[in-house]
Amino acid sequence: MRNPLRSEAEAYRFLGVVIVGAAVIIAAAYINTWLGVAAAVLVFAWLGWWLMHDSTP
Amino acid sequence: MYLFIASEIMLFGSFFTAYFFVRIVNGVPWPTPPYELPVFVATINTFILMTSSATMHWATTSIKRGNVWGMRAGLLLTFLMGLSFLIGQLYEYMRVGFNTSDGAFPTIFFCLTGLHSCHVFIGLAILAFMTIRAWRGHFSAEHHHGVEIGGIYWHFVDVMWIVVFTTVYIL
Repeated sequence: MRNPLRSEAEAYRFLGVVIVGAAVIIAAAYINTWLGVAAAVLVFAWLGWWLMHDSTP
Repeated sequence: MYLFIASEIMLFGSFFTAYFFVRIVNGVPWPTPPYELPVFVATINTFILMTSSATMHWATTSIKRGNVWGMRAGLLLTFLMGLSFLIGQLYEYMRVGFNTSDGAFPTIFFCLTGLHSCHVFIGLAILAFMTIRAWRGHFSAEHHHGVEIGGIYWHFVDVMWIVVFTTVYIL
């Protein structure tokens, strides 16, 4: 499991991931509220996958 | 570290629960008419805070490569941008046109943004110590744990702002 607060570089990467996720939710919610809700569910699922998937050896 | 994350999630989680209760369960329009949120100032503040994360990352990568002046410049810029954010937030509070006594919406607004501002204030205090230590030559390519930990905290504060900004100001 990936720890986003393990190092400064990892925390910075996590910030980038959160910004992208927030941008997707905002864009979807701008089109339609329920599309925004669906995007939020997908983004949280993706975030969960990203946290569980540790690329470091 | 895990206890810190858990306590922060619970702290912000309690305020977000109140926010979602007021907005969704209670069915109150957000922001409650006739009030308006200063989205433009908050957007400028968001860009300032995100840029400060980039300069913080620059400071950390610089010291890892032994570039002391890069670290000093990065830390100083991060501190100045964090201070700009806090001043911008205070300016927003003074001009927003409502107060905590005006209902549930202003109360939640001030609680959520105020809680985050408290974290920024703590981050600024940490950054001030880091900058002073950097100028005194306490960090090197081998010994820079203080910069690393401060950087993690600063990025965490920025992550929380993205969540607060998205939910309170944009959505």
